[in-house]
Amino acid sequence: MSKEESKYYPSDLSVRLWQKFKAGDSEAMGKLAQIHYRSLYNYATKFSSDPDFIRDAIQELYMDLWERRSFLNETAFVKSYLLKALRHRLIKESVRLKRFQQPESAFFDGNESDPSVEVHIIEDEHNRHQQGRLKQIISLLSKRQQEIIYLRFYQNLDHEDISNVMGLGRQSVANLLYRTLKEIKEIWTPAEFFWLVMLGFWYFKTGA
Amino acid sequence: MINYRSLSVEELATDEMFRRWVLEPTPEISFFWNRWTDENPDKVPMVNLARELVLSVHSIYSDDLTDEMLHQEIAEITRMAEERKYNRRLRSFLPAIWKAAAAIVLISGLGVLYFTSKQSEEQPASSANAINIKSELEIRTNTTQQEMTILLSDNSVATLAKGSSISYPKTFAENERRVYLKGEAFFDVSKNENKPFLVYTNETVTKVLGTSFRVKAFDDENTVLVAVKTGRVSVFPKTEYEHTEEKRAPQSGVILSPNEQAVFNRKENRLERGNVQSPEILVESIVQRNQVFDDKPVAEVLNTLQKIYGIQIQYNADLLAQCRISAQFDDETLKQRMNAICQAIGASYEMMDGEVVISSRGCN
Repeated sequence: MSKEESKYYPSDLSVRLWQKFKAGDSEAMGKLAQIHYRSLYNYATKFSSDPDFIRDAIQELYMDLWERRSFLNETAFVKSYLLKALRHRLIKESVRLKRFQQPESAFFDGNESDPSVEVHIIEDEHNRHQQGRLKQIISLLSKRQQEIIYLRFYQNLDHEDISNVMGLGRQSVANLLYRTLKEIKEIWTPAEFFWLVMLGFWYFKTGA
Repeated sequence: MINYRSLSVEELATDEMFRRWVLEPTPEISFFWNRWTDENPDKVPMVNLARELVLSVHSIYSDDLTDEMLHQEIAEITRMAEERKYNRRLRSFLPAIWKAAAAIVLISGLGVLYFTSKQSEEQPASSANAINIKSELEIRTNTTQQEMTILLSDNSVATLAKGSSISYPKTFAENERRVYLKGEAFFDVSKNENKPFLVYTNETVTKVLGTSFRVKAFDDENTVLVAVKTGRVSVFPKTEYEHTEEKRAPQSGVILSPNEQAVFNRKENRLERGNVQSPEILVESIVQRNQVFDDKPVAEVLNTLQKIYGIQIQYNADLLAQCRISAQFDDETLKQRMNAICQAIGASYEMMDGEVVISSRGCN
């Protein structure tokens, strides 16, 4: 199966299940919902810390698909399409409910100031540890950078899917990802290098 | 085979096999990657970065969704879908003001209906309640000449004899798993000590925590028979079970061990314990279902199971394409067979909505 094909006809979506869904079989709906439920739930926790709100949003997302089932094709259940629809729904609903006013519930919202990561790192120099350092670097990235890192390395979406979910052009996705990874590497690798040098130094000392 | 040497950190961290090594390693995958890093020492910093990246991202962005919550949500979505099967959505077609108007009309209409029906009927609330409980029960009647395999939502299996019928909720209650039986069935019950499994017949209640046994309770026979294959089973006359349940008094049933049986005499309303008379009563199925598989693709094995048990098994054919197994089954129950197969290919299974659903990450 080619990459393109597998994208639009997910292998976990059997023909039979799809036909049952189309025919109005509620159990088929449940099974379709189960395929990406975990991914959707996880993504939603980045927008809201209220589990009831998240569950409602995902339920409504699927009920919406259920009620439009006669007009849908298989792509409606492709992971990136679901993520995008959920993102849209969460933001719309949060604005309505003013949930975004609580700062802790909005990890990935659109507004961002984009200060250099180095600034934070230097500020935090004193409580820097080798272990968990990358975690710290990532959590200090801008919200957009965090979202792209999340979509790429947690949800494992490719560039095209990310551009679909975030509503960015392909090139913007590639640039943002490249820039973010470069920043991470620039801060991360000196330590690796440092340890290599130290080991080398120790080796020569004992060897001599 | 991918040339991992040429991959960037990003490509490595999003490679399926690499991610599996980092997140859910199997011995084979660990072996591969450990050997690969030994052979490519210059790539170790890159592997470490990719590995750390995947791990960090998963630990930063983890959530608290448990399997149980997931199941509840899927059950809820299924229920909602069933409920909204026919009513077209109102809100997408009507502006808000009309929705409000419609709601008022609907509510007042229901109010009128309620008050008028209240006058004509004595207990509208309780009768509505009874219908509600009934409609959530799944009723299966075996009108065929063969046995019928029923998969329950707690991974238990009931093998229903011909001319018998069973009813059970689509999802079991929080505190118990209750099924109603008319006729005869063999039960292979999943262990769950917090949720007793109860088989109700007209006159008896059989209570187990996880075991296999047969219940025979045809309406036109004078006795109810419960015979135990494995585990321990308690049997009570129904009148006494329900009575004592309320009073929390010690119950007057009998406790059966393997190869023991209890016979309830309908006329005398009395339970009698004894040994199982004929061994064939303790097999899941009256027909022999011998199976021999010699290094066969697992899909073939599953297809045969589907055929001989008349059940549906859902699995991802692409993922299981590489899995092969050898196995021999004689008098194993369906659950024992599923357990053996899944163990062999490192998968797990669940029974959902009357079908077996296999979760697997594939074989290499």
